Order: sequence, then structure tokens, then C-alpha cells
Amino acid sequence: MRMLSYLFSTLVLAVALACGGGSNPAPTATAPSTPASGLTYTDPTGTGWRLVKDASSTPTRVVLNLVGPAGLKTRGAGFNLKADATVRFGTFMDPSVPPISTGWPIKDTGVFELRNTDPRDPFTGDPVPLDPQDPILLSGAVKKGNLLTVGIFQKDRRATAKDSAQPLCQIAIEFDASAKLNAKDTIALSIVKAKYVPEDLGAFNGGVTTWEMLAKGHPVDMTIAVGSLHAN
Amino acid sequence: MPRQFPHLMSALGLCLTLGAAPLAATPAPRFDKAVLVQQQRQEAARMGQAQIHLQALRTQLGLGDKEAFVPRNAFTNPEGMTVVRLEQTFEGHRVWGGQAVAHVDGQGGVQALTQSVRTGIALSGAPLITADFAKAIAVAHLAPKGVMKVAPVVEQVVFPAEFVGGLATQVDPVTGRRVLDRRNSILARPNAPYVWAYEVRTRVDNAQDGTKALTYLIDGNTGKILRINDLIQHLDVPAPAQGSGKGFYQGSVATLNTSLMLDGTYTLWDQTRGTQPNPYLAYFSADAPTGWNPALPGNQVWYKGSDTSGASTGMEYLFQGNTTNVWGDGLPFTQWGDSGGTNGQSAGVDAASAISTTWDFYGSVFGRNGLDGQGTSVVAMVLDPTMQPWFNGLDNAHWDVQNHTATFGAGSFPGNPKGFQSMADLDVVAHELAHGLTSPNPYQALVAQPGYEEGGIAEALSDFFSQMVKTWALRDATAPTDQIPATTLPWEIGRNVGHGTPIRYLNKPSQDGWSYDAWFQGIRRLDPHHSSGPINRALYFLSQGASSTPGTVNYSACLPQGMKGVGNDIAARIVYKAVTEYFIGDGTGAWTFEDLRAACIAAAEHLPYPYELGRVFDADAVRNAFAAANIGDGAGKPATTRVLFTPWRDGDYIQISHPFADYSNRQVLPTNETVMPRVTVINNANTAVTWSLGGPTTFDTNNTPTAIAGGVINADGSWTTPNQIGWASITATSKADPNQFAEGIAWLANLDTDMDLENDALDMAPIAISWYLSDTLNYSSSVIAAPWVDDLDVSFFVDALRSTWPVK
Ligand SMILES: [Zn+2]
Repeated sequence: MRMLSYLFSTLVLAVALACGGGSNPAPTATAPSTPASGLTYTDPTGTGWRLVKDASSTPTRVVLNLVGPAGLKTRGAGFNLKADATVRFGTFMDPSVPPISTGWPIKDTGVFELRNTDPRDPFTGDPVPLDPQDPILLSGAVKKGNLLTVGIFQKDRRATAKDSAQPLCQIAIEFDASAKLNAKDTIALSIVKAKYVPEDLGAFNGGVTTWEMLAKGHPVDMTIAVGSLHAN
Repeated sequence: MPRQFPHLMSALGLCLTLGAAPLAATPAPRFDKAVLVQQQRQEAARMGQAQIHLQALRTQLGLGDKEAFVPRNAFTNPEGMTVVRLEQTFEGHRVWGGQAVAHVDGQGGVQALTQSVRTGIALSGAPLITADFAKAIAVAHLAPKGVMKVAPVVEQVVFPAEFVGGLATQVDPVTGRRVLDRRNSILARPNAPYVWAYEVRTRVDNAQDGTKALTYLIDGNTGKILRINDLIQHLDVPAPAQGSGKGFYQGSVATLNTSLMLDGTYTLWDQTRGTQPNPYLAYFSADAPTGWNPALPGNQVWYKGSDTSGASTGMEYLFQGNTTNVWGDGLPFTQWGDSGGTNGQSAGVDAASAISTTWDFYGSVFGRNGLDGQGTSVVAMVLDPTMQPWFNGLDNAHWDVQNHTATFGAGSFPGNPKGFQSMADLDVVAHELAHGLTSPNPYQALVAQPGYEEGGIAEALSDFFSQMVKTWALRDATAPTDQIPATTLPWEIGRNVGHGTPIRYLNKPSQDGWSYDAWFQGIRRLDPHHSSGPINRALYFLSQGASSTPGTVNYSACLPQGMKGVGNDIAARIVYKAVTEYFIGDGTGAWTFEDLRAACIAAAEHLPYPYELGRVFDADAVRNAFAAANIGDGAGKPATTRVLFTPWRDGDYIQISHPFADYSNRQVLPTNETVMPRVTVINNANTAVTWSLGGPTTFDTNNTPTAIAGGVINADGSWTTPNQIGWASITATSKADPNQFAEGIAWLANLDTDMDLENDALDMAPIAISWYLSDTLNYSSSVIAAPWVDDLDVSFFVDALRSTWPVK
């Protein structure tokens, strides 16, 4: 393992030297580049899982909807999306979702039922009113390397699975003036990991060993198509 | 922020304006019982004046018509000043933690302390749930195993959301590890700064449950438990070293105040002390043959019943049926099953004598009628045989603020060589009774649980007054009874109980191996009997001074120049005035070491005749004494360097940024992840710190780890957390001033529920799939390795993700 990596890096070095050794011509004259002032997103084609532009987007903030294939019912989804460092992931303020002070990099579009569908007192078992601050499985973060990780999941299996062919959640990508992008520059976006929770989680039909859940209750890997993002 | 009290400045200004020294012109009597009684007669009227004054202040305080102030209790000091405590109400309901204190003088002048007044209450309508429903929720949680002799009391209150409780932990009896106590952890988030709530005051007192006095705050809209307060103040002690001793502390007591009963027998019932009946006795019925009646005042000494094996019978008895009025044999207690007999009476004699001494100390020195100033009688329960897994009553003592009773264990020594002898020695008795002095009323006490600086303060104040009682009791026969002699007894608690080894050392508390001598941020997590260290030491310095010779027991690196003490008598007057007139607990646990310092400064600046000439010196002595324990700045000294953890974020599900509860400075973080702790160094240009793993509160007094000292501190100051679920602590120490450090603590949760070695939002999927399954599905789905998954996992996950990668 160690040897292999050593050889590989040597090879790269050699190639670089070969380039540097030749005469390096001045860049050919092209049309003067125009400083960019916003972002353009072009939706991907296809009918599977995809990130499509939402009408609420502005010239400097692209809002993307996560949309799934028609006919597929799910209980939640999440993905990790890596972007070039030249853009920022935006946040959404939602007074109904704590913490309200700084918001989250993901927005609930209201499709999933995120709260407890039948809250009960843990000691008496009697029904109680829903706590308006009932903790929900909606969160996200931007990790090192401009890697966005977001998820939205129904925690209560009593809630029915929802049709995926509609905006299930939103994320936002914002233009960053300090990145000094030029018009037509391409900003790379790539899905690193994505999963959804299926409709059929299996039933309780006996002791632990006979649970269907052991076989069925897993998140399912999926591929999300991403469109192209350019500066303009 | 320490509270601000009226300062000497304004008083001086007044004197200059008048061009005379009014205090000297009309010297207030130092202490004249007749005058005091006269002043006390006006208490009711002055309570009314205080109420009118506070009502008139409402607009200025930002309050409206719906708010009011209701006088709750009052006392009059020997200078004739009546101190009235008023409760804030909203639409007639008590505002939890809302209060004002008014000082009313003989001329009708009123000065109000309004730090604890709560503003911005916007509530309308009524709670959604009924009082009975709230009561049922509390009782269901309490789950008493035996009979509840007293019905819970329910009161509708306004509850400030900032006082919502937090995470509780307990020791797992199987593994000995400290684990999350799910049953007692609070996970409620009121949806407004103030909500309707029910305060349900419960009490159980039986053989199955032992003694518990839990007060529940139940959200009036959701029925959720918002907070649980334990009103029993335990004297919790570490396992002591071996030793030997005698069992009869007081030796021969020449005069023991007892009662001759109607049937010709005697009881340990002192009718010369106490002017109001003890509230606990109301649970007992009058006895016609002897004439004993629960409605009659007077201090009494009782014992707890046991069988011949030493097991509790769950019964309680007054020491009675004595035909000779001669009590006890002076020997160590051995006669289980006959605790009321001659041998058991020895502990009763100890307690009776100690209570009389303590009672007389407050009466003679401060003109106080009993502990609460109202003359409420004390009942002591001795020879407690209770030995529960969670509470060793044998080697313990506690004060019960609701009942105005003190309980003392029989002691497990010498059968248990590490145990204590009978707990009824004078200094333990005086310690417990001082809790009655520092508790503002029968349903509020200075919060005594770990997690509050107030807990350490309550214990230190009890230790300090115990020291003063001992010193006063040993005065010369010719010494005045209204002063505390300058004698320097060893400053320690429980040497006799510990058969030669003190339980605590007040002059240098760290000598016990557990306590700390100086404040640091995070000290509140220590057991209150050890977080008391800095206050014990500050009050010792105040009285006795500090040395400037490094290495001596009374030297502090925080005050290298040393200081001169004010002596026992003045120190006690400052502390007494501070805790009865300024430092008045509001039941929230919010009072800090700095607050006590401010209260002592205010008290020193208001010392009455004949002490007023020393006010400036005394106030500076307070500043220096507290500075020597690292609390506040020394007199005329620049601001001290401080290391402080800053809240990492806000608005979490689990309210970690609670300003003063157990879990302040506590974060929820992932295991096995690199995080960036945030700490600030103030009052020093050099803000560099040295990080270390673990900290002073990493082990409790049973050597049980309370936190993990693990992971790796990286060169850039980041912390790679260990791969272990539970509390973990780290310490930051100032490079410029190594005396200054802070301990921060985090609950580490395993976020990687899908076990792909990456903490990300996709790890919420297994939580969703496993949520509220009735049995184990997949341990890894619970971020705290619980055998099921619920909202606690949801909260931990969301909070931890956010604290690690904060949203900007
Ligand atoms: Zn205590």
C-alpha cells in the first residue's frame, strides 16, 4: 500500500517536471473575462432522484428542490453534496424549527410529517397535546471541504410514506463575491452519498429474531442527478 | 453577573450632605430585647408598607396591572430594620423565582432590592391541563412504593422557561459508571419565555421510600415536567479514614430542658425555646394521657425506630417515658431495637444540648428568634438506621426545609471501621440547623444539588456558622454572651464524628482530598460539600486573615500579599447580615459565589453601631478574603484574569446554555470527531491557554468517574473526542496566569448510527427507523447506546451535529 502510493506520487512529479521544462507560452489572447455577479443553474434531465431549481431562486441564490421518481413512496431522504469552494451553501430561517437564531442549511417543504403523530405521557400513557418544540429529524451541516450534509426524516412510523415526485426539501447555493468568479466559470457539484428511507419498514410479527424489520428496516442507497452550475 | 446591592457610596454621600454623622448622633441600641420586641410588633404594618412601595414601583420595574407583590415573610434586625420578602404574582399566581426584598426602617423608609423581579410576562387565558392532571403526572413520576401520608400540594404558577431543568445522571449499580438518568432528565422546551405551570409539592416519608420531598414544575399546556427540585438538604460525606473515639460528645450536661408530662414522665421537649409549633408534628395526633400536643411549640428530640438487627421499623418516637429525668449513659450506641432506652438517649442528650446551644447562639448574638426568625420549633430525629443503596442515613445528617427538622444517623462505626460515630455532635447539628437560617421559607431552600454554585454556598454557610457556634459555646464564663470570642479553634467540621479525622477543613479545604481552595468555572459540578471549599476558605480568611508566606496553610497564591482578618465576631456579623438581608435565595439556584461576595460587601458597608467606623476596612477585607479564594478582585486591585468557556451555540433542544444549572458549559458533541472548543481569556492581553483532558470534577467522592478524560488535544487547539459515549471533560488553563483555569464538559454521543465511519445527516435515517420501538432493534441507532430510541436521541443528534459544524 505504502509503496504503491509512493510510486504514484513520483509519477505525478515527473509529469509536472516535463511540463515545466518546456517553454511556457504566454496565455493566448481571449475575450476579456467579465467578473460574475450571480449564478445560473440548469436542471438535470431524467425522471429519477434529482435536484431541480425552485422558483424562489434569485440571481445570487439558487434554491434547489430534492425531487424523487414518480410512484416511489418514502419516509425521508438525505444526501451529501460537495461544491467548489467558490460558492457558499445558504441557510433557511424557519420559526417553527429550532434553533431559530441561525437556521439550517435545509428547508422543510411540508411534505413529510416530522412530528410525533400521537404524543402520550410517558408515565401515564394518556394522550397529551403535541409539544410545539417536539424534536424533529431535520438537520444539516457544512463540513470541511464545502461538503453539505442534510437530511429530513419522518421519525414516527405511524405516519404514512409520502410520494417522492414533489419537492421534498430545499437547499440553497449562494454566490460569493469574494471568490472573484468570472462569467461562464463552471462550479463543480457532486453528490457523494445519498439515501432514502423506504415505505416498507417491515412489521413486528414476533420476537426480535422474526422481525421483518431486521431485513427491511434499512436506509436505501440512491443516485441523485445534479444539474450544472455556472457563474454569470 | 453578580448582583448589585446598595453601596456605601450613597450612604457616605448622605452624611456629607447633612454635614453631620447621624448614626453617631442617635446611636441605635446595639441589641435591646425590649426595643426589638416593640419593633417586631410593627412587622405586619411594615409588610404592608413594603407592599405599597413595591406596588407603586411596578411601572418603573416594567410591570403592569396584572402583576402584584405579596409579602411572604419578614424579620426585624436588632437595629430595628424589617426585612420583608415579597413574592411577585401575575394575575394572582406566584411567578416562579420572582421576588423582591424590601428593607423598611422605623421611619417608614423603604429600600427595595428588585434583582429577582421578572419582567416581560405575556400570558393570557388559563392552562390547558387541570391541577389534578398535573398532580397525577407528578405522582406518576414520583412512583411512591409506600403510603404517601401527606397529599401533594398543587399551585398554579408562572414559570420562566430559562429555569427548565436538564440532564440528570446516576451511578449504574452494576457497572459503577455514571450514566444518563433518563427518568429524571428533563427534555422540555416551553414555547414562550413564560408559561403557565403547576408547582406540585410532594412528600413521602416511609420505610419503603425513605424521605423524599420533590417539587415538580409541570407545564400547564403540555403536561411536561419542566423541573424537579429536591428540598432535602443532605449532609453528604465521603467515606472517612479509620480512627477511634468515645460516643458521648457532650459528656455530662448539667441542665437539659425537658418536659414533665401529665402522666408524670419526662420527655426531651424543650418548651423554653421555640414560639411556634414545628410543622412536621402536624402529621401526628395529640396524646391525652401525657398531654403531648403537636400544636404546642418547643424544640423536641425524637429517634427513629429500629429492630434488634438495626433495620428501620419506619417509626418515629419522641424520647419519652423517662421517670427520673436522667438521660443517657454516655456510651456509644449499641442497643438496636431499644433506641429510646438509656443507651439510645445518649444521642438524644447530644442533640438536645446542641440544638439549645445553636438556638441560643442566634438569639444572644443576633437577637434572632430561632432559625427562621419566626420562632418555629425544631425537631431533631436521631439514631437514623436507614441504609439504602442510594442513601446512607446511618452516616449522614440532613435538614428538611419543609418540616424544619434535622435528622442524624446512628453512625456505622465501629462495625464499619470507615464509618462515622453518631452524627449528633454539636458541629454537625449546628451545620444542619444553619440550613434553616439560609432557607428563606418552608418551600424554598438554597438549591443544594451538584450543578449549582448555590449548593456550595449553602454548605459553606452552614460550615461557617457551625464554626461560630462552636467558638461561642466555648467562651469563657465571664465573656459577654452577645459576642463571639476571638478564640481560634481548629477551623474544621466533624473531627469527633470522624473519630479523629475531620470531614472538612475550612482553612484549607483541599486537605480533605476532594474540595478545592479556589474558584474555577465549572466548580459547581462538584458535590456541594466540596464546591463549598472556596467560600469556606474566603470566610476563614475574612475572620482570621491570610499569610504572605508561601507554603503555609493559610497562604493563597491568589492573594500573595496576605491580609489581616476582621475577627470571628465581625466576620459573623457581616455574613449573618449578608445572608439574612441581601443574599436571600429565590429557589432557582441562580445565586453564585460572586453574589455572596457582593452581599457580604453590602453587609459590611451597612454594619450598624458600634461597627460603622470599621465599614471601609471590613468591606475591603471581604474583597480581599474572597479574592484569596479566587472570587472577584482584591480591594484596589486590577481585574483578575479569568478563563471562561463560552456557549458554543444556542437554541438547542437540550438547553445546554442554561446560565447557572448543572449543564452550563456542557455541550453535546459527537464521539470520535474533531471539534473546536471555545474558551475566552479576559482581563489579560495574553489569551493563550493550555488544554488538558479531564478536570477537577472528573471523579466524584466515591472515586466514580463522572466524566471521561479522553481523546486527543491537537496542536491547533482542537479536540479529537474519544470513542466513548458519556460525559467528557477538558480543561483550559491560562498561560499568563496558571492559577486561572476552567473546566468544560460535553456529553459525547455516537452519531455514526449507520456505521459508515462518517458523522453526517444521513445518520438520522436509522434513528427514524428505530424511533420508539418497544424493544431493541439496533443499539447503534441510539446515539447514547440506550436499548431503545426516542426523542432524546433525536435531540442529541441534532444538537451534536450543530455544535460540531455550527451554522454560520
Ligand atoms: Zn449541609
